[in-house]
Parts: sequence; C-alpha cells; structure tokens
Amino acid sequence: MKVTFPHMGNTWIVIQALLENLSVDYVVPPLNSKETLTIGTQLSPESFCLPLKLNLGNFVQAAALGADTALITGGVGPCRFGYYGEMERQILQEAGYPFDVITLEPPDGSLIGLAERIRKLAGEKNTWNRIVKAMLFAYRKSLVLDQIEDLFHGFRPRIQSPTQVDRLYEETKRRLVQAMTDQGLKDVLNWLKDVMQQSLADYVDCMEENPLRIAVVGEIYTILEPFISMDVEKELGNLGAVVDRSIYLSGWVGEHVFRGLVQGYRPLRPYYTLAKPYLNHFVGGHARETIGATVKYAQEGYEGIVQLLPLGCMPEIVASAILPKIQEDYGIPIMTLTVDEHTGRAGIQTRLEAFVDLLERSRHNLTAINEGVLELAGR
Amino acid sequence: MRLGFPRALMYYEYYPFWAGFFYKLGIELVTSPSTNREIMEMGLKKAADETCLPVKILVGHLMALRDVEGIFLPRLVSMEENTYLCPKILGLPESVLYAIPEQEIYTLDVNWREGKREVLKSLLAFRTRIGRTKSQIREGFAEAQRWQKAYRRMRNAGWSFEESMECFETLAEPLKLKDLGFSRERSHRQKTADFEDGWLLDQGDITDSLEKKPRIALVGHSYLTYESYANMNLVQRLREKAQVLVVENVEATPIELQQSHLQKKIFWSHAKKIYGAGSYYVEDPEIDGLIYLSCFGCGTDSMTNDLLARRARQNQKPYLVLTLDEHTGEAGLVTRIEAFLDMLERRDDYESNLSSYGEHMDRHSSFT
Ligand code: SF4
Ligand code: SF4
Repeated sequence: MKVTFPHMGNTWIVIQALLENLSVDYVVPPLNSKETLTIGTQLSPESFCLPLKLNLGNFVQAAALGADTALITGGVGPCRFGYYGEMERQILQEAGYPFDVITLEPPDGSLIGLAERIRKLAGEKNTWNRIVKAMLFAYRKSLVLDQIEDLFHGFRPRIQSPTQVDRLYEETKRRLVQAMTDQGLKDVLNWLKDVMQQSLADYVDCMEENPLRIAVVGEIYTILEPFISMDVEKELGNLGAVVDRSIYLSGWVGEHVFRGLVQGYRPLRPYYTLAKPYLNHFVGGHARETIGATVKYAQEGYEGIVQLLPLGCMPEIVASAILPKIQEDYGIPIMTLTVDEHTGRAGIQTRLEAFVDLLERSRHNLTAINEGVLELAGR
Repeated sequence: MRLGFPRALMYYEYYPFWAGFFYKLGIELVTSPSTNREIMEMGLKKAADETCLPVKILVGHLMALRDVEGIFLPRLVSMEENTYLCPKILGLPESVLYAIPEQEIYTLDVNWREGKREVLKSLLAFRTRIGRTKSQIREGFAEAQRWQKAYRRMRNAGWSFEESMECFETLAEPLKLKDLGFSRERSHRQKTADFEDGWLLDQGDITDSLEKKPRIALVGHSYLTYESYANMNLVQRLREKAQVLVVENVEATPIELQQSHLQKKIFWSHAKKIYGAGSYYVEDPEIDGLIYLSCFGCGTDSMTNDLLARRARQNQKPYLVLTLDEHTGEAGLVTRIEAFLDMLERRDDYESNLSSYGEHMDRHSSFT
C-alpha cells in the first residue's frame, strides 16, 4: 500500500507530517500544474467542479510514482465534496488506476470512528497513543502554517520587492516541512519573525502607512490553492493591499475533521452567527462562512471583499446571490471572481488591478465607490 | 389570506402537501401560471447567470406572483433520512429575495431527516406568522400528509403528473377525493391494464397495434421532466414514438437496493432517486434505452449522470443525455431524440451484434 492524497495549497505539508509520524508509505503528488489540470479535465465530465478535476489529476500523477491508495476527507453533503471519494474511485477504476480510497471523516460525527479510520491507514504497528500524538502534532503544524501565511499577508504589501518576498516564503516553507518537533515549529516561526523585522526596518522610509485592507472569501479549495486562484493573495499583496482570508487550514480541520473540538487559527464558529441575518441555515460547502466572514470584515473596516469560486460551485452561487445585500447594507465593495480551467492569469490580474484602483480612489471620493461597484459587478 | 406559491422546483413533487395544509387552515394558495415565455424571460434576466436553469425559472415564477399578500417559499432541507436537498434549494428563500424585494415572504424549514416530529415542530413555530392555533396546525399537518399520500398513490396507480396535479390545483377536486378513494373517473385514454410486467406505467399510451414501440426510461429531476415549456414537450414527443417510463414509476425499495452498486450512498434526496431509478432501468432487459434529462448548471446531475452513464456503458445500454439550457432549440432536440430512437431500432434489428455495438451519447452536450 502506497498512500497519496490530493493537493490543496500548502495542506500537503501537514498531511506529510501526519503520514511521516505514522510511518506510512506515501508519496506526495507533484504540485498542481497545467499538466495536472489537463489530466483531470480529460477524465471528468465538463460540469464537475474544478477541485474534483484537480484531485483526479493528482491521483493519476501520483499513480505514476507508485501510489495505489488515496487518502481524502469526506462528509455527507449536501455539497458535492462529500461525494468526491466514490466519484474518484469509479473514474480512476475505469481509467485503469484501481485506487483504494480511504476517507478521513468522522462517520456519524464520532471521533472514535475517525481514529479507527486512521488506524486502518496506519496499520497495527502503531499504538493508539502514537496515532493520537501524530494527529495532534499535524494539527499544531497546521496552526503554524496558518500563522506563517498570515504573517506574509502583512509583510508582502510593505516590501517593495516581490521577488524578495517570494524567496523568503519558499525558504520558510522548506524549513517548515523539515520541522518535525514542537521546538522545530517554534524555531521556524521565530526565525521568520526576525527576518521579517529586519527587512521591514530596511523599508521603513518608503512604507505605506495605511495600506488597503482586502479580504478574500469563498470556496475553500479556491482560496487555499494559489494554482487556481491565480495567486490572488499574492497579487493583491504586490498591489499594496494587506490581505486576510476567511478560512485557514487549521480552522477547517478543527471544524470538519475534529468536529469543532478544536477551533484552529481562525475559528469558523463566529461566522455562523454573523451570517444569520442573511442566511439562516447551512447550505453545504462554505457559503455560511463566506457570508459571515464578509459581514465580519465589513464590520472591521476592511475596504473591499473578493469572493472566489470555481465555476458551478453550488454553495458559493447561493452566497454570491446574497452578497449584494451585504454590499448594500455596509457599503463595502464586493467583487466575485469565478475560475475554471480556461481562466487566464491576465484576466484575473486586470480585474484585481481595477478593484484595487477603485478602492484607492474611493478613499478620496466616496461617490466613486457606488459607480465603480456597479461597473465591477458587471451585470 | 392569500398566499402565492411558485409553480417551479419543489412544486412538482410537494405541492399537494402544501395545498392540503393551507386548505385545512382556510388560507388560499395561489399558484403562478404555467411557465411561459414571459416568466422564462424574467427569470433569465433577473437570476444570476451562473445558477441552474430551474432556479432561474423559479425566479421568473416568483416575479409572476402578483395580487397576493405574500409568497410562501419554504426551505426544504431534507425529504428523508440521511439525505439533503441540493445547496441551492437549501439556500432558499434567502438567495432569491433580491428578485422580489417588495414581497412579503413566508417561510419555514422542513427537515424530514430528523423525522415527523421535527417537521411538526417547525410548522408549529410557523403558526404565529399565519395567525393559527396549535391545534389548527396539527390538523393542517395531518391533512397535508393525507394529500401528499393521495398524490403518491395516484401516481403509482398510473395517473399522469398533469392528471393528478389537477386534482390538487382546483380546490373542488380534493373534496371529492376526501376519502382518498379516487372516486374520479379514470381518463379515457388510460388502459385498465397499465400494470404491465410489474411496472406501473405513467399514462404510457399502450396501443394494441402490433407495431412495437421501443421502451425508454426518462430520468431526471421532476422539475425538468414535467416542465413542459422548458423541455419543449419532451414527454409528449417521446410518447408519440415510444413507451416512456419515468423516475416516479420505480418504488422506494428497488431505489434503495440499487444504491448497493456504490461504495457510498448518494446523500441528496433527489439524486438518490434518480440514480436508483436509472440504475434499475439499466438492469432491466425490457428497457431499450435511457434518456437523462439534465439542465445547465446542475451540480448534482453532473455526478448522477456520470454514475449512470458508467452503469449504462458497463451494461451496454443505450444512453442519451439531453441538457436543457436557455438556448435550447426545438429543432436540435427533435434531431437528437430521433437519432436516438433510430439507434434503438437499428440495435433491435441487429440484436446479435450487440456486443460490438458501442454507440453512446453520454457526455454532456447541449443540442443547440
Ligand atoms: S464547495 Fe463548490 S467546488 Fe467545493 S465541492 Fe462543493 S460545489 Fe464543488
Ligand atoms: S439539484 Fe440541480 S437543478 Fe436542482 S436546484 Fe440543485 S443545482 Fe439546480
């Protein structure tokens, strides 16, 4: 048995730590690329959601490296995500890649059931104690990963050299991958903070005092995976905006894998309360998080919101039909970006530039905002 | 009190329930007219581009409801244990409010997943909105279930969708049906022996002529199958040339049994039914071919269709996908149906060559 798993942004760093600590034989698929997407698109009906297509690409690429077992997370609806596993199994089977699929989900919401699934994956060689320890360490690693990503949100717009930031980001990730103890995790964070402080000191003269604040909300895969968001966070950062994002990995793991037992770097619970006046029920996916986060950012004085979704994403379509109401209530500009396999980087870039431009102008001129919003909404 | 009820989406399966409920409470329920050009255009114009055709049609119907005190639009969460409805249906009514800012909306959550008591609880909480007492609500709930059950029995007994729904639409009819004894005269077109080979036929015109018509199964969401404006009278067109069976002709038990082909059960109430019925028809040697009626933008269909297409491939069953969208033209539809029926005929003629016959049309494509 050689285990593999689908990519979603930097998630692989955390899953790798888990599998490593359980001494499972695994392979990390090559990072998402054009090729991954092409493979996935060929295997899927056109109307599948984009994350599913990429997952398929990941598995096929991992199969070439010897993988025969897919580790995924699941759930029982109401979004398509909960059915990915069975879809993928059947499609891969038919295409000549007979994968075993292990779904990491708490069946009936019970954590014991979850631990049992992990045990199946880990095999008899692991004691319960070791399994629990490995799970908790992976979780702590995800917390650090989130912190790192968030540090870069504040760092990037203040540094004039994007390549310098990119280099530091890659180096940090490299160190994080290697950190397999709690001390190691702490060291990475401290090291990063030091480097950042020094660099900031170099730029202190030409730093924008009060940068724009823009929040990215939407479907989790799209907001966590720079390959399909066309690096939205990075681009906004390079345009001088401090970015925040509605969902971080640990928050998602806490809510969906650990059933709310742990809360993660950015808890999801508060969003549900905030979303209530606009959407009084869960609808699946992260529609409530999108709505709740938008309200939160609006209340916190963020200047703009970008909603990201893959074409045809059911919950986010629901959310995007509700967002204009929040835009109206709080006077905060919201731009919806839909991505699919044909989306070009240039198109996204242009729209982001226009959005940032609009927000900057609106700081000086309040009426520009309303006209601009209409323009951007483009309906 | 006069409440509007859009003739869209959930109307097609659950209208009798609400008709019974409000009838008992003495509240008039007015449905929007059948989909027409104006309704369709309003929906397409006002609804979000990206959403599915049925939600767009719903928006058109909501806008067509005038002269009412409010619109009744419940949130249907689940229709049975362990299932949900699709996210877009769960997102009602909030996600369509923008289309009808002036209207008063009456809504409540309906969740059969947790059982009857939860549904009653939700209805009881709703009583203040419509100014009724607890005991009135209880009576309304009982009546609603009776009507829904009557509807199901009529369908099982071979009444067509239109025939059965008509009884619940005109308030005089349900009175006649009060004892649920189906006292109404059966339609003259209906043959008494519509119980053929263990199937219940949905008003299939079983002619006595020797000419053999192919038997096809038409599967898909009820709000597409019976949305005769959007699907350009598909059912009727097919019936001219074939015997047609639909999802509603398959009972709950076989639907449940068919899920065993899957390692994980489908968790959407409707997709589960569609898959179960489709898969059942795939296995049935008496069925010559399947048509999956889908529509632009349906997330659950993208999966159900893929699962069924694979089942059909594995069983060498002819399979056709029709995807409705706003640009669907009548000519394209007719051509594709005819090509499919021709294929069935040819296939029949060369039954012996069956294994080498690989003609499938199972990828999503519009017939524009
Ligand atoms: S949230 Fe959207 S993209 Fe993700 S599985 Fe659901 S429909 Fe697909
Ligand atoms: S099941 Fe499909 S057609 Fe029905 S509301 Fe959901 S997405 Fe639309």
